Amino acid sequence: MADTTAGSVIGTTMTGGAAPGRARSSGRLGRVRWWSYLLLGVAAFASIFPLYWMFVVASTDSATATQMPPEIVPGDNFFHLAGLVFDTVPFLQAIGNSLVVATTIGVGQAVLCALGGFAFAKLHFRGRDVLFLIVVLTMTVPTQLAIIPQYMIISWLGWVDTLQAITVPGLASAFGIFWMRQHIAATVSDELVQAARIDGASTWQIFWRIAFPIVRPAAFVLGLFGFVTAWNDFLWPFIVLKSPERFTAQIAIKALQNSYTIDLGLAMSGSFLATLPLLVLFVFVGKRMVAGILEGAFKG
Amino acid sequence: MTATRVTATPTPRAPARAPHRRPAGWALPLRERIAPYAYIAPFFVLFGVFGLIPFLFTFYIALFEWNPIGDQTFTGFDNFVRMLGDARFWNATRNTVSIWLLSTVPQLLVALVLAHVLNHARLRFALFFRMSILVPYITSVAATAIVFAQMFDRDYGLLNWLLGLVGIGSIDFVQSVWGSHVMIAVMVAWRWFGYTTLLYLASLQAVPRDLYEAASIDGAGGWAQFRHITVPSLRPVIIFTVVTSTIGGLQIFTEPLLVARTTNLTCGPVRQCQTLTLFLYEQGFGQYQFGYGAAIGVALFVMIILVAAVNYLLSARIRGA
Amino acid sequence: MKLRISPSLALFAAAALAAVTACSPGSSSGGGGDPNVFEFWSFSGIDQQRDVDDYMRAHPEIRIELTEVGSTTETAQALTTALAGGKVPDLVLIQGDDLPKFVQQPQNFHDLREFGADEIKGDYLDWVMEQAVAQGGEIIGIPTDVGGLAVAYRKDLFAEAGLPTDREEVSQMWSTWDDFIEVGKRYKEATGKAFLDNVPTSVFFQAVNQVSQKYYDDAGNPIYDRNPEVKAAFDLALRAIEADISARISFGSDGWNAALPRGDFAVVSAPSWLLDQIRRYAPDTAGKWDVARIPGGAGNWGGSYLAIPARAQNPQAAWNYIREMQSPEHQLQHFLDVGALPTTPSVYDDPQLTGKRDEFFSGAPTGEIYTQALLGLKPFHMGPDTGTIGTEFLNALTNVEQGSGDPATAWDDAVRNIRTAIGA
Repeated sequence: MADTTAGSVIGTTMTGGAAPGRARSSGRLGRVRWWSYLLLGVAAFASIFPLYWMFVVASTDSATATQMPPEIVPGDNFFHLAGLVFDTVPFLQAIGNSLVVATTIGVGQAVLCALGGFAFAKLHFRGRDVLFLIVVLTMTVPTQLAIIPQYMIISWLGWVDTLQAITVPGLASAFGIFWMRQHIAATVSDELVQAARIDGASTWQIFWRIAFPIVRPAAFVLGLFGFVTAWNDFLWPFIVLKSPERFTAQIAIKALQNSYTIDLGLAMSGSFLATLPLLVLFVFVGKRMVAGILEGAFKG
Repeated sequence: MTATRVTATPTPRAPARAPHRRPAGWALPLRERIAPYAYIAPFFVLFGVFGLIPFLFTFYIALFEWNPIGDQTFTGFDNFVRMLGDARFWNATRNTVSIWLLSTVPQLLVALVLAHVLNHARLRFALFFRMSILVPYITSVAATAIVFAQMFDRDYGLLNWLLGLVGIGSIDFVQSVWGSHVMIAVMVAWRWFGYTTLLYLASLQAVPRDLYEAASIDGAGGWAQFRHITVPSLRPVIIFTVVTSTIGGLQIFTEPLLVARTTNLTCGPVRQCQTLTLFLYEQGFGQYQFGYGAAIGVALFVMIILVAAVNYLLSARIRGA
Repeated sequence: MKLRISPSLALFAAAALAAVTACSPGSSSGGGGDPNVFEFWSFSGIDQQRDVDDYMRAHPEIRIELTEVGSTTETAQALTTALAGGKVPDLVLIQGDDLPKFVQQPQNFHDLREFGADEIKGDYLDWVMEQAVAQGGEIIGIPTDVGGLAVAYRKDLFAEAGLPTDREEVSQMWSTWDDFIEVGKRYKEATGKAFLDNVPTSVFFQAVNQVSQKYYDDAGNPIYDRNPEVKAAFDLALRAIEADISARISFGSDGWNAALPRGDFAVVSAPSWLLDQIRRYAPDTAGKWDVARIPGGAGNWGGSYLAIPARAQNPQAAWNYIREMQSPEHQLQHFLDVGALPTTPSVYDDPQLTGKRDEFFSGAPTGEIYTQALLGLKPFHMGPDTGTIGTEFLNALTNVEQGSGDPATAWDDAVRNIRTAIGA
C-alpha cells in the first residue's frame, strides 16, 4: 500500500507539481507530415552511416576506404580480418577487461553519485554549497595535465598495471554528481522530504524509499554513460596498463596499428569488433536508456 | 511508516500537526547529523584523491618552470606573462572558440528541431529513430576520427567525391583553417546531437497537452505557441545543455589530436585546428614545459567559468511560463 | 525500527577500508626481486617481439614482459609520465627523435658505462652513438638500428616518362639535389603527374641531415638561424616547391596510403623501414619499384636506442639483454629477419648483408645501398630542441607547399616561430 501512495506522489512530482487530474502529454496531436519522416530519416542515416562504413572497410580491406567511386557494399573479408585481429592481440581478454572495468564504473558512478547528489540536493550540512561548488569547478580544468600527478598517486599505491588503476579514479565523476544533484533537486520536492521527516523517517529511508525510486531512471542513464565513457577511454589506460593480458579493448586496437601508418582494414576491423559489445548492449538496454533520458528529465 | 501519512499535499497538513512538531532549536540526532557526511564520503574520498589533488596540482605548477624529468624552479607569474604575449595562445583561443561555436550552436538547434518533430503522439517507428540517434555516442572517438578523416580527405575522401559530382572543386579540409574547424565541429556535433535531442524531447513531453489546446482555442498560432509554451518549458534543460556544452566544448582535445595525425600535436603546420587543450598538452608532453601548460589550463579554467556564467545568465532570462 | 546496516554506511566503511589498505604501497608487478624477470616497453611496428622470443629461447630461465603498443611519441609520453614519479620499466626503446629530451636529463637513466658500455661503444657508428651521450659523458642508450636513406622509385612510371630505369643510371642522374628537381620537372612535363609525395619530408628533411653542423654548433649553442647549410637546404626546398613537382601529401597521412598503390607519386625518399610500408600498402606494385642512391649521397632517417631507467628494478638483466641482442652478429640477424639496418659497421661488409636482395624492389641490394648511405654522414651535434626546430621548419615549408604560405617570408616566419617555441 505504501507503494501506491508513493506512486501517486511520484506521479505528481514528475509532472512538476501540477494538480492531479491534468492530462500528461505524450506529444502533439495532428498528422505527421512526410517531411518529418524525411528529417528523421536523414538524422538516422547520418548517425548510422559512419559505423556502417566502418563495417564495410572491416569486411574488405584498406583499399576500399579510398576507392572512388566509394564502395559501400560490405565484402566477404570480415572473418579473415577479424581472425587477424584475434591473432595479433589478446582481443577476447581485452574485451573481458573492458567489460569488468566499464561495468564497475557504471554501477559505481550511479550509486556514489546518487548518494552524493541526494546529500547535496536535499540534506543540509555545513559547507554543503562550498563543497558542491568545488566539485563543479574541477570539471572546468582539462584532465590531460592530471595524468602525471595521477600516475604518481597510482604508483605510490602500487596499482600500476592493474585494473584498479583505471577503475577507481573513474568512480568519482564530478559530472555525475552534478547530474544527479540537478535531477534530484528538480524532481524531489522539499515538501516531500519535510513531510517524511516530520513523520519520523530517517535519512536513509528518505533516500531509499522516496528519492531513489524517483531518480532511478536518471541514475541508470548516468551509469550507462559512465559505462560507455569508460569503454572508450584510451589515454589513461594506455599510460598505466602494461601487460598485454590487462589491456582494455581500446589499447588492443591501438596495438594493431603500426607506428607510422595505419592498416585501415585491420584497424577498422578492430574498432568494429570493439564497438560490437556496446552495440549488443545497446540493443538490449537501448530502449531503457531512451526511456531513462526521457523520464529522468528536467521539468519546468 | 503507514500508508496514509505520505500523501500528495503535505503542506496544508503541516499546521494541523504543529503541536507535535519539535521545537525549533532541537537538533537532529547525531546519526542524522553525520548522515550527510556519510553519504558524500565515498564520493569525496575518491574525488579528493583522484579529482581534487590533480586539480590543485595544476594550479600549483603553473607557478613553476616544470620539467617532469628535470629541473623544477619557481618562477611566479612568468608563465602567465609569457602566455599573454604568445601568439600561439591567442591562436589556440580563437580556434577553441570557433570550434566550440560551430559545434554547439548548430547541434542545439538541430536537437531542438528534431525533438519537436519527435514529439508527435502518432509518430511511427519512434523508438527506432530515438535509438538510432544515440549510435554516434557509443562509437569510440578514435574510430570515428579515423572514419571522418578518411571521409574528409582532400584527394580520396567521400565528401570531396560528392562535391565533385556537383561541380565543386576539392576542398582541403585538414589544411585550411575553416575546413578543419568545420570538420572537427561536425565530428563533435555528430557525437552529441542525439543525446541533446532526447533531453529536449523529454522536457517537451512533460508539457501538458491542454496548455497547447487552450492556447490554440485562444487563437495563438504555432509560432506563438512555440515561443510562449515550448521554449519556456525547455528553459531548465536548455540551461543545462548550454552550460555542459560550454564546459565540454571549450575543452575539445581528442578530435584535433587524432585528425591531424601527421603534424602530431600542433594540428596543422600553422596550428589551424589546435585547441587550447591540445596546445596545453603539446607544451606539457611535447615540450616538457609543464608549468606553461598548467598556466594555459588555468587560463582555460577562467575562460570556461566566465563563459558558462554568461551563458547561464542569458539562458535564465528566457521568460518562465 | 530495527537498526539495519544501511547500504550507505556499508559503502562508507568500504571506502574507508579500501583507502586504508591501499595506503600501504603494494608490490609492483613484474621485475620485483626476481633477477630473472624484467619489463620492457617498446613502441609498435619494430618487431621487438621477435628479438625477445629469440632471447628467451636462448635463456629459458629469463622471462621478459614486453609491452609493444603505441606510436613512438606515445610511448615517449608514457615513459615521461613514468619517469616523473612512478613505476618505470627495466628496459625501454626510445626513438631517435624523442631521445634528445631524455639525454638532456641523464639523471633519469643508468649511465651504461657502469655496466661496461665503454667496451662495446666502438662497435657502433660514432655519430649514432654520439646522440646517446650526455653532456657529462654518460652513455644513456645503445643504438638498435638506423634508417639510412635512399630513394625508392617506380621503374614503370619512369619508363613511361622516358626516363632511365636502371638504378645506377638513375643514381647518377640525380647526384645532386638540384639535379633531382630537374628530373622531377622532366617527369611532370612528360606525364603531368606529381613526381614526389611532398617536399618537406622527401627533400628538406633529408637535405638538412647531410650537413656538417645542423641546428646547434659543436659547443651546443643554437645556430639554426645563422647556419648557411640549413638556409641552403631550406632554399632548396622552396625551389622544389616552386617547381611544382609535388603531390603535396603528408607522409603518414591517409592520403599517402591511398596514393601509394595508385602511383600518384613516382618517388619517395625512403629509409630502410619505409620499404616495408611500401610492400604492405601497395602489394600489387611488386617488382615495379627499384632503389637508387639519395641525392647528396648520404642520409639517415630514424633509428632507436635501448635505455635503462635509473629506478629500474632489474637493470642487470636488462643490460644482459642489450649486450647480447645488440651485438654486431645479432644486429645482422635482425636485419636479415626484419630489415632493420644495423648500427655496427663491422658487419657492413658481411656477404649476407651485401648480398641481400629485395625482390619487391627489382632485386635491389638494399643492405649495401643503405649502409653506404650511412658511411657518408658526418656527425653533428643534436641539441635538446632539435626536434622542435626541425618541426617548425617543416611546418613552414608545408604551409608554403599547401599554397597558404608566402615563400618570401617563410624563413623569417619559421625562425620567429622557433624563437617563440624555445625562447632562444
